[in-house]
Amino acid sequence: MLNASTLALALANLNGSRQQSGDNLVCHARDGSILAGSCLYVGLPPEKPFNISCWSKNMKDLTCRWTPGAHGETFLHTNYSLKYKLRWYGQDNTCEEYHTVGPHSCHIPKDLALFTPYEIWVEATNRLGSARSDVLTLDILDVVTTDPPPDVHVSRVGGLEDQLSVRWVSPPALKDFLFQAKYQIRYRVEDSVDWKVVDDVSNQTSCRLAGLKPGTVYFVQVRCNPFGIYGSKKAGIWSEWSHPTAASTPRSERPGPGGGACEPRGSEPSSGPVRRELKQFLGWLKKHAYCSNLSFRLYDQWRAWMQKSHKTRNQHRTRGSCPRAEGARREVLPDKL
Amino acid sequence: MSRREGSLDPQADSSVSPLLHLEAKIQQTHSLARLLTKYAEQLLQEYVQHQGDPFGLPGFSPPRPPVAGLSAPAPGHAGLPVPERLRLDAAALAVLPPLLDVVRRRQAELNPRAARLLRRLEDSARQARALGAAVEAVLGALGAETGGPRPEPAAAAAAIAAAATGGVFPAKVLGLRVCSLYLEWVSRTEADLGQLAPGGPA
Repeated sequence: MLNASTLALALANLNGSRQQSGDNLVCHARDGSILAGSCLYVGLPPEKPFNISCWSKNMKDLTCRWTPGAHGETFLHTNYSLKYKLRWYGQDNTCEEYHTVGPHSCHIPKDLALFTPYEIWVEATNRLGSARSDVLTLDILDVVTTDPPPDVHVSRVGGLEDQLSVRWVSPPALKDFLFQAKYQIRYRVEDSVDWKVVDDVSNQTSCRLAGLKPGTVYFVQVRCNPFGIYGSKKAGIWSEWSHPTAASTPRSERPGPGGGACEPRGSEPSSGPVRRELKQFLGWLKKHAYCSNLSFRLYDQWRAWMQKSHKTRNQHRTRGSCPRAEGARREVLPDKL
Repeated sequence: MSRREGSLDPQADSSVSPLLHLEAKIQQTHSLARLLTKYAEQLLQEYVQHQGDPFGLPGFSPPRPPVAGLSAPAPGHAGLPVPERLRLDAAALAVLPPLLDVVRRRQAELNPRAARLLRRLEDSARQARALGAAVEAVLGALGAETGGPRPEPAAAAAAIAAAATGGVFPAKVLGLRVCSLYLEWVSRTEADLGQLAPGGPA
């Protein structure tokens, strides 16, 4: 309550304004009627924005995002403005397309130069003050990302129950500039959330996943890092993962080993206990048994044949015994190596 | 209104059909007014929520600033003949849309993130226009003229726009007044059309 001669008062320990339109300061007469009112905006000046990161999609544009000052909440409307300029010459420019990938982001769609550094910073302003981030310097070519590889196909490898073949196309938008690229594949079993990542898939557009579980549906995704633009040795920025592509391994009587790595076409497999032991066995055979024609290719062919003959045997079991099946069985090598 | 019954006379048919048409039109307009009354209540609720306390608190009794070209329904409104009431309703509904636009523009500055409030204000302007036009159509079908000189809606909007560019608190109070008047006139229109709708006293 104030008296009739009060001309000013101080309000202390105010909380930040709860609505954008400000807090209402209202003067009442004794009878409760409102004599006058005003609005207060209680808040904080902005703190320095930080953590600016930028990327360019196919060298055509630039998108940046940042984190607002240390506490974020100023309780006042705070304007964030992304600015950029060419380092060695040119005027300051202001980004105009905000909130493209979240509340603190901006997109510069065109007129960007390559092979020359840009300086980028963010200015935050509200009624109580302003703050400016540190300057980020970058060349567009060093922050390129691309769309995920298109046309990802996953298919079985003949009758091999523990393998799937993955093929994709390199991103077409960069085909004139991209001399190399790195790829990553990840895959998971249908009802699992755990992805396995195959890392070392450099500059090829196909891969064979081995050591998989038979009769199982797998989801597979591929992504690309466009390193090697104009021959650069610097890594780019990984693309998003491609849409999941599903395929199933053929069914088998025997349980599969459960996981594995990518086998690039035509090369030796590199992991899996069964295959490691087989490798050692083949190496020993070559030395001691003069079996120079033995190879993994032959092994794969044998496995495909084994599967076929297992299926035939099972069909004949349901119908009745078959001498041919028995005869075939005698020629088969033991299941376990 | 009266109806002729049991006649195969084509002339009789042609006089029944316009009556049925008018009845349907009154019924539709009454239903529209009922719906917009509900929307106007929601608009008022949404508006006070975004202005902060003490707006919306029980016992909050803000000043009621005059709005150029528009006043609340007079106490004697319900005692007037129905066509006269509908004329006044139509006149008020014609003035409201630009006033609601002014409030929306000011709220876009004061509450830029209040998307639903801004949308309701925009929708209300359109709805008031539609209801006003429907009431005028009913008046025309009744053979009643739409009445004498009205204040220019644009002039009323200019006056309120000037008032709204003042301080923030007066702008909030003025917006509250416009939203309250909108609710009063829409619910008044619903009641007046109810007098004409089938089953009503007329």
